[in-house]
Amino acid sequence: MADKKKRRRPADPDSDSIPFKSRLKPDSVILQALKALAAAESTPSASTNPLTLADLSLSQACREVSDLPLSSVQSTIESLVLSLTHSILSGQGLSFSVPSRSSANQLYVPELDRIVLKDKSSLRPYANVSTVRKTTITARILQLIHQLCLKNIHVTKRDLFYTDVKLFQDQTQSDAVLDDVSCILGCTRSSLNVIAAEKGVVVGRLIFSDNGDLIDCTKMGMGGKAIPPNIDRVGDMQSDALFILLVEKDAAYIRLAEDRFYNRFPCIIITAKGQPDVATRLFLRKLKTELKVPVLALVDSDPYGLKILSVYGCGSKNMSYDSANLTTPDIKWLGIRPSDLDKYNIPEQCRLPMTEQDIKTGKDLLEEDFVKKNPGWVEELNLMVKTKQKAEIQALSSFGFQYLSEVYLPLKLQQEDWL
Amino acid sequence: MEIGESSESPEGKKKSKSKTPRKPKDSVLKQKSPAEFFADNKNIAGFDNPGKCLYTTVRELVENALDSAESISKLPIVEITIEEIVRSKFNSMIGLAEHERVDEELYDDFESAKAREKRLAKEARIQEIQAKNANLGKKVKEPVASKAMKGRGETSYYRVTCKDNGKGMPHDDIPNMFGRVLSGTKYGLKQTRGKFGLGAKMALIWSKMSTGLPIEITSSMKGQNYTSFCRLDIDIHRNIPHIHVHEKQDKKERWHGAEIQIVIEGNWTTYRSKILHYMRQMAVITPYAEFLFRFLSDAPDKNVTVKFARRTDIMPPVPLETKYHPSAVDLLLIKRLIAETSKQNLLQFLQHEFVNISKSHAERLIGEMGPDFSHKMLVKSLTSQQIVRIHQLFRQAKFDDPSGDCLSPAGEYNLRLGIIKELHPDMVATYSGSAQVFEGHPFLVEAGVSVGGKDVKQGVNIFRFANRIPLLFEQGADVVTRTALKRINWNSYKINQAQDKIGVFVSIVSTKIPFKGTGKEYIGDDISEIAAAVKTSIQQCCTQLKSKILKRIQAREQQERKRNLSKFVIWLNGAIYDVLKEMSHLHASKRKRYTNEDAEVLNKVSNHIITRETLGEKLAQHVEQVDYEMALEYATQSGVNEEPRENIYIQTLEGESKFVDFQSPVFVFRLFQ
Repeated sequence: MADKKKRRRPADPDSDSIPFKSRLKPDSVILQALKALAAAESTPSASTNPLTLADLSLSQACREVSDLPLSSVQSTIESLVLSLTHSILSGQGLSFSVPSRSSANQLYVPELDRIVLKDKSSLRPYANVSTVRKTTITARILQLIHQLCLKNIHVTKRDLFYTDVKLFQDQTQSDAVLDDVSCILGCTRSSLNVIAAEKGVVVGRLIFSDNGDLIDCTKMGMGGKAIPPNIDRVGDMQSDALFILLVEKDAAYIRLAEDRFYNRFPCIIITAKGQPDVATRLFLRKLKTELKVPVLALVDSDPYGLKILSVYGCGSKNMSYDSANLTTPDIKWLGIRPSDLDKYNIPEQCRLPMTEQDIKTGKDLLEEDFVKKNPGWVEELNLMVKTKQKAEIQALSSFGFQYLSEVYLPLKLQQEDWL
Repeated sequence: MEIGESSESPEGKKKSKSKTPRKPKDSVLKQKSPAEFFADNKNIAGFDNPGKCLYTTVRELVENALDSAESISKLPIVEITIEEIVRSKFNSMIGLAEHERVDEELYDDFESAKAREKRLAKEARIQEIQAKNANLGKKVKEPVASKAMKGRGETSYYRVTCKDNGKGMPHDDIPNMFGRVLSGTKYGLKQTRGKFGLGAKMALIWSKMSTGLPIEITSSMKGQNYTSFCRLDIDIHRNIPHIHVHEKQDKKERWHGAEIQIVIEGNWTTYRSKILHYMRQMAVITPYAEFLFRFLSDAPDKNVTVKFARRTDIMPPVPLETKYHPSAVDLLLIKRLIAETSKQNLLQFLQHEFVNISKSHAERLIGEMGPDFSHKMLVKSLTSQQIVRIHQLFRQAKFDDPSGDCLSPAGEYNLRLGIIKELHPDMVATYSGSAQVFEGHPFLVEAGVSVGGKDVKQGVNIFRFANRIPLLFEQGADVVTRTALKRINWNSYKINQAQDKIGVFVSIVSTKIPFKGTGKEYIGDDISEIAAAVKTSIQQCCTQLKSKILKRIQAREQQERKRNLSKFVIWLNGAIYDVLKEMSHLHASKRKRYTNEDAEVLNKVSNHIITRETLGEKLAQHVEQVDYEMALEYATQSGVNEEPRENIYIQTLEGESKFVDFQSPVFVFRLFQ
């Protein structure tokens, strides 16, 4: 691999001037360290069973949804509709009992390292001016899902919205009710056969089958393979990767994909281009559980980078009812960490001052349980709030566009500098 | 304050100065009379440009008229007339012959050959396009008459006349009241409308500067059997009146008050809306006054006549002159009070010349001043050092806040009436705060908030009043604007800041309004006491409105509930029935088994016993029942809860009129003819 690089840029006169380049050891040494990490990852997880909510005897009752087969979704809807029909025929109108998804009804479980829902729920009666719309939308969504079950097809959230624009009015309403319906039925959103448009991409040392087609992610060109929205049709994962590199941004992802970083250090590179969607989170979880390789994250050094990390790690507030299937535990924060700014002498002009809002978000994050459980993260976040500086991954480009793939990441890996 | 008396410049010096040849390095000690100072800096009194001059002249005259009528507790009637005088008429008025332009190039609006070429080319192009459009059968838009760019030439001359039914002026005082700047009756510590005490004098200086025509005053006081007539202008250099005519005339009608006529340069086109806004806002804050505003010109279509009728005969009390609060005085003021006082010794001086110092309090204060001071010491014998000591003590010691008794707020009732009368809002709420203190001066904030109304723009419309005069300029930095736009969360009162027509009225009265800016056009946002008082007042109004708005929303929901609930029946029974139908198919084809009760329902569906309509009917029945129950609940809850009634003001009829009485045992119905 090193030979190849030399061939591309023979007799590089600048190589000495690139900071920290001289500290890099040969790739083989770095690979040794990575192999040790991967080995450590695969052994203990095989012995201990993952904890579930039922294993813990929590004081409060908690709600979780599970993947249900299509037939049981169908019968759940049918029995619900029958009970509604009885209620209407007896002249009592109808009402849904909807589990509350508000933040007041959420709970962080440290043992599981994710957010779950408590068991509070609210009544959604038809004969009330404030809830009549939502009740109607709920019934309509139920009917649409029932149709999907009968026909056994997948549709996107957008499709669902366009079936009755006049009633739904805007997509946020139908989307919100869709999540409510998941909770009512006690199943994951993907088992409703409703998918979100694909947003995430993956590239690297991974072969899997998507709806029967075999995909080799090393041969997907620069853009990579779009992460399929219906995870249930993904299978047969094979890989010789030593780790998964989770990238926050498209720009950094393209750099790594073009430089074929995964050939130098066998890895799988994945990004959701900002806030992760459900499909990417599901895919990452599947990768991690099936391949048993460590996940390293490369995010911006700002509160939002950490927030994105938290969504992968312990779930978003909005989808907390399904946190069991969506979260990937034990993600390691590789970079760019606030301490890296000085460690790598990132020039002043590439650092941005944090706004009032940033600082507030940072301080709020310090109160979050998922940050608190990792003392290293608390330290880094404290440093960020103290220095009031943030930097994007692109700040590394000030040393050259390829600095990220050729110096920064190898050095980080060599030093095993992750938290 | 009375610089007018002390600083008259010697005549001789003036002359010698004007004759000395120009030597830029040589600085000669010059003195200026107050009149000269204001002539040079007329912008600080609101005379920035001809348009603003016209506006300020109108407002000074109107405010004087109101003050005059209120001082004798008479309901004010103010007639204001602006008469346009075109240049030719003005020239003939002053006896100047009309001159034809000889050297065209000398003038600003001369069109050079190049400019003409350009204009002709442009006109030709426009015509071409129009011809093309006409050929294509398009609707030809009337060519917009190119607005003649007159620029500075737009200014014209105006005769401003203001007539009131006030106190009038003593015959002998008239020349000094108009012809001497910084001499007036309004000095002293009390709430006054005027800002500088310049009033009509500044207008006179402006007329002298722009037209050179004198001011004409007609006045009559109660009980006088003559009318004073005076025509005068001002000697700016000496700050003394220059009298043309000053005579007593026979009184033709029973009238008391003053009529002032002045000819000035102005600009009606650009300041028309400002002047009309001013009149309208004045009518809001003084609903007990009657205003008649007229604009007359040669073009009849431009003429304006607006009458702001009286809506109440309750007048706020005349503001009282008050004594200074110890924490509001400065060194100079103490010296002046000492010079003016009639009291002999220090104890009496402290006790009587200031508010909030009782006898025992004064004794304690004197004890605190030190061994040099005693109760009996003569107040006029105080040394400068001793006065400084008194001043320092005043600054440090704690005094009770001055009471707001000396203030004369418009009153919640009047403010409310004014808003209703001029804006016709859907809803209005008013609030009157209690007096508070800023730097020893009491102030009082009243506020009104209205929603809806005619001629009101969407969003927040702000109406500011200081000492019962409207403030129109420099709105952006004002404490009221800042508060209303930034510190009030309209949403929490169910008011939509962007779409509702919101009127915010805030009236601040004080013995000293802390104006900002040269023109004294706004109150700064940096005084936390005033900002807080303004905020609470507006919030109080909003809270009142909120309950009204909520009631209205509730009532609307009552009316629309059934409709809203029924609207969704079609969707809902459609959704449910579709699922049922699919299920009945499955049931019929025996692909799925259902238990007895459910099977019964599904059988009914397949046999069309249960249809979409049956479900709809059942739902509709349920809605009906719920609606009835809720309506009943609403009715018992709200009960017979009517709004408090408001008094209405019926205008008195003027003059004697013929009428016919229809008698009935209970009442008399009188028909006026």
